[in-house]
This record gives sequence, structure tokens and C-alpha cells, in this order.
Amino acid sequence: MARLLENQALDLLQRGGMLVPRYEVAASPEEARDAAEQMGVPVVIKALIPTGKRGKAGGILFASTPDEAASCAEKILGTMLNSFRVNSVLIEERLEVTQELYLSAAIDHRAQATSIIASRTGGVDVETLRVEHPDALKHLYVDPYLGLSEFEARQLWHEVGVDAHLLQRLGALTAQLYRTFVSADAFILELNPLVVSPDGDVTPVAALMGVDDAAMFRQPELAATVQVGLERSWKALTELEKQVVAVNEAEPYRGTARYTEMEGGDIGLFCGGGGASLVLFDALQHAGGQPANYCEVGGNPTVEKVYGTAKAILSKKGVKGLLVAHSITNNTQTDAVAEGVIRAIDDLGIDLATFPVLAREAGVNEERAEQLFRARGIEYYGDQITLNEAARLMVERMREAERNSDGLEEGR
Amino acid sequence: MSILLNNDSRIAIQGITGREASMVTRHTLAYGSSIMAGVRPGKGGQTVEGVPVYDTLATACQEHGINTTIIYVPPAAVYDAVAEAVHNGIRLINIPTENVPQHDTIKLMALARSAGARIVGPNSLGIISPHHRAKLGAIGGDNPDKCFVPGPVGLISRSGGMTAEVAWTVKQAGYGVSTAVSIGGDALIGSSPRDLMELFQADDETKLVVYFGEPGTTFEEDLADYVSADKELKPLLCMVGGRFTEQMPEGTVFGHAASLISANAGRPSVKMRRLKEAGAMVAVTLDEMAAHVQAVLD
Repeated sequence: MARLLENQALDLLQRGGMLVPRYEVAASPEEARDAAEQMGVPVVIKALIPTGKRGKAGGILFASTPDEAASCAEKILGTMLNSFRVNSVLIEERLEVTQELYLSAAIDHRAQATSIIASRTGGVDVETLRVEHPDALKHLYVDPYLGLSEFEARQLWHEVGVDAHLLQRLGALTAQLYRTFVSADAFILELNPLVVSPDGDVTPVAALMGVDDAAMFRQPELAATVQVGLERSWKALTELEKQVVAVNEAEPYRGTARYTEMEGGDIGLFCGGGGASLVLFDALQHAGGQPANYCEVGGNPTVEKVYGTAKAILSKKGVKGLLVAHSITNNTQTDAVAEGVIRAIDDLGIDLATFPVLAREAGVNEERAEQLFRARGIEYYGDQITLNEAARLMVERMREAERNSDGLEEGR
Repeated sequence: MSILLNNDSRIAIQGITGREASMVTRHTLAYGSSIMAGVRPGKGGQTVEGVPVYDTLATACQEHGINTTIIYVPPAAVYDAVAEAVHNGIRLINIPTENVPQHDTIKLMALARSAGARIVGPNSLGIISPHHRAKLGAIGGDNPDKCFVPGPVGLISRSGGMTAEVAWTVKQAGYGVSTAVSIGGDALIGSSPRDLMELFQADDETKLVVYFGEPGTTFEEDLADYVSADKELKPLLCMVGGRFTEQMPEGTVFGHAASLISANAGRPSVKMRRLKEAGAMVAVTLDEMAAHVQAVLD
């Protein structure tokens, strides 16, 4: 689920007809000064990174003059906030505020519907609000076929208890929010706070938006700007992670390859599908091993996809062995797994005498997989052993390899 | 007996001419399950592995009285195919397709709910009832007997791959499955573990229900609530994979898209504890699972 940057969210809201504060993107202190000068009013400077909780991390500053805006931008630009490098900042007109509200649209998995949540208490983290003031949050579920009518939104805000004179505006704004939410295939669109100005205008001053990666085929404009694959990570993607995303995207309709780099670890893990990867990672840790990565390769990938993923796994620094394992496959061809993995091993000139590789691959075409692995001198098992046993054996092989290399060092 | 699939299932595949679908058709027929018809607009009159192809599902239904379909179409076409199935009165719809846009899933599930149709999936590997040699989807691959043999265990899994691995574990323990259901790895799915636990409850053949879960969502918590509310239920044995994810920073997704851990919700250890407190048995490893199966059924 890709998160958008705030300027992209504001663009979409504005195009949907919503009144938003004036804003500019600046990539240098000079650009920040120019933007503030043009607006001619006090501004807010915000780090443009795809995460929430920017204020707490020091990514939101206030400036009354263009020079102040420039120095604020200088403070934030180039720093790491919430694991992301700040490459640009948003310069936003600072509004006069008489009241702060909260409004969001989000996909509620349990209700299997879009949920609209409103509160009279804005500017606070909604998770905090949910715990500390559950009564302050009201919600409704939208019928996906009927959409959200303004009167329903007015009823919600009435229930929330806002001033009656705001109902008309809030009703229209909430219906706009829902239309933008659906038309961008978003899974979250949060306006927090949504502020009321002295003359009764209602305007979002912070927007958080995430869109569904799976819908990017019908969102060409968004697809060009979001980093696919980022939704699975808590940080910017590493080079090897990007490499696997590219491998996966090269053949989008044939199999899936996902890779997450861990900090440290020495066992390369080539496995899948989703559930079995979880079980194997647990089992390796349980046996005292340290996986260097998480990965899922399944859905009957091509040899090319297997090869590209295996190569990334093996290229990580500090990897000293490889476990190749799947749950007994239903459609993934284990011989294609064997071919791709062996090609990566050969390509990188890996010496199996010092680098243990163990395969537990059973299921479709297992006879050929066995032949291929064995012919290359790789320790192979089908369903003679469980995933647990495979993990345990792998950890044993790592220990043996370490002992052998210690022996070699001493012999020298 | 079994759930969802039996000798009255009259199955069609929507999108039968695709590569995966024709492979699944071949494997399914070889297993002894019957597929009455296929649908692919523009390819009516052709056959796939001897199965007649129709331009519309409506014609297939008229000719063969179809009541069950598999949706083998790309993500962008899933919504329309499910709508076609619901409008033609199909009662059981299995969706193997992964990466269906969430807004489409919300709509198709609302449609199915209003028509009383059951959806299994999206992102489901399928359903198999070995006693009837009936299977829906890729489950079991070209050799279902390797993992799936008839027996008293009802199997529910969020992971397709683990459906086979767990069934194999049950087989190694000396038993087999009544019906195995891969419910799909997405957070938005048509049939939850709780829904299927209810169905297994009413199935004579099933003596034990085994469930494999993953991090994220509230499926396990909902299942725990259901189990604890009724002490007369059949024994339930659960394993939730991915305990390591709890050591990772919040917001990281492992396994299926649904496996997002947020605050305390979604944590495997919490899910396991809730299930245990509710009276279910829990296994930390597959080896433990086998031991539990024997302890209950021997």
C-alpha cells in the first residue's frame, strides 16, 4: 500500500473540489524563501516523507518571515526522519484556527467497507484518541454502490456535535473526501486536523493518503509517482530490495518474488509462499540460526525470477549459506526453482565446499528438481523431512562450515 | 460428508482458456473431479482438456446447471466475473486471483452478501474434499494424493502453500482431511476462519479442526471469541506463523498483504494466547501439530 507525499494528496483533494491552503514544494532553502515570500503570510514547513507522526520527529516547523522559512527548510532538508531522507519540504500557508476537527476515510477490513470517521477533537493522533476518548470518534460505513450522500455526512457531523452552522460545509467536504478516496483507489485518506477559520471556512491543514498498489493499473498518474513495494517496509527500500522489486515487476503476471533485507544475519533464505516463509523464519530462529533476509517466492515463478531473487539474496554482505525451501508446492515448479538457484550460485562463483546450501523442495516436478540439485552437489530433501527439520539441519551446516573455516585459519 | 464441495457440485471455470486455468483443469480432471464447463467471451465452441467453453456463464448454466465457479481472470477483470457469477445464481465462488483492488473486493463482497452467495478468496489456492475426490482450484497441484487423503480433520489455512504442508503433516500423523480450505491471504476475504469453523461444526465427518493463521487482521481473535462462547464445539488446533515479525518495526509487512502488525493487534503471540485462553489447542511448530493431532484422534 503505497503512501503518497502530502503535496500529492493535496493535489488530488484540490482537484476534487476541496478548499485547501496554498502550498509549494521546495527542495532548497532558497526555494523555501521564494515560496514564503510569494505567499506573503506566515507559513508551515513540513518534511515531505511518506509517513505520519512527522511533528513528533521534528519534521514540522513554523516561520513568520521568508528568511525564517529558509532556515527552517535548511534544518530539515537532508536529514533522516522516521527512516526516510528528506529531499524536499512543503511550504504551506499557515491559517488562523478557531477549531480543529478530525476526518478520515479508510477501508475497514472487519466491516468489509469504507469507514468514515469524524471527531470534534482534531490535531491529535487518532490512535491516541481511540484509546483515551473513544466517545469523541463517530463513524459510518459507506454502501459501495450508493456512495456517500451529503445528508449522511451531515448526520455524522451532527452526531459528533459540531456547530450547526458548519454542517452544510462539512457535509459537502466529506462527500468530496469520499469521492477522492474512491477515485484514487485509496485505502486511507486522513485530514488531521481539519481546521475552522474565523470566517467559517473548513480546510485541511494536514493530509495523509495511501493508495492501493493493486489498483495502479488503472491509476497511471499515481503509478508513475509511487514507489511500488514500499508498502511492505518500514523504511526506504535498500538497493537489493529495489533490485528484487525490478525482477518481480519485469514479469508481473507470472509468480511473485518479494525480498526484505534484515539487519545482520548470515543465512540466506530463499523460500515461499507467504505462510511457509513465516514458518521457516520462525524455525530458523528457533534452531538458533540468524536469517539475513525474509523472502517469498511463489505462484509458479519463471526461472528468470527465481534467478534474480536468489542472486539478490546471495549478494548481501555477510551471507554465508543458503536455505532453499517451500511448503510442498501446488503449482510452483520445483525444478524451475532448482534451475534459477543453481544459475545464481554459478554466476557468483560460490564454492559449495565452504558455503552450505540446503534444499527442501517437494511438490510439482520434484524428481527433476532432485536431479538438478544433486547433480550440482547440493544437499537435497523432498518430503522426507519437515520444514522444521530443514531449518534445524541448515543451522547445523552453518556451524560445521564455521568450524571448518576456523580449522583452516588455524592450519595456516 | 464434507463442507462446500460434494458430489452435487457442478463446477465451471470462468477464464478457462488461460495458462494457469487450463493446467488446473487438466489436474482436476486427472484427480477425478469433474468440471462441466468453461467460460471465455469470444471462445465459445472451443474445448479445454475436453471441457466445453461458452461465451457467457448464462449459457453454461442453462446447459449444465452450474452452481459453483472458479474465477481465473486477471485482477482487473475479477469484479466483473464475480458479478456475472452472482447474477447467474452461483452459490459458491472461489477466487484464486491475487492483487484484486480493495475497492473492487468491497463491492463484490457486498454483492455476494446481498444475493446469499459464498465467496472463498480472493488469493485462495482452492478447496479440496478428498473423500469425494472433489477439488476446486490449484490445491494439491498435479498430485493431490501426496498431501490430501480422506480423514476426519477439517483444515482452514490463510496460506495456500501451508494448506498442503499442514495436510501432509496430518497425513504423516496417520490421518486425513474431510475438507481443506485455503481461505486466501488478503485482509478482505469472503469466508473467514470463523465462518468455516461454523460449517465444520455441522459436518459429521469432521472430528477435529486445524487452523493455520498469520500475523495481522483480527481473524484469529474473532475465531477465539466464537470458540470461547460455545464450549460444545469440536476440538480446534491452531498454529499462527510469523512470531519473528514481532521483533520488527511496526508497519512492516511479511507474508501476505494482510500481515500488518499495528500496535498490539495482529501479533502472533497475542493471537495464540487468545486462542489458548478460548480453549483451543495451539502448536508452535509443525512437529508439535502432528503430536496434537495424534493426541486428539488416536
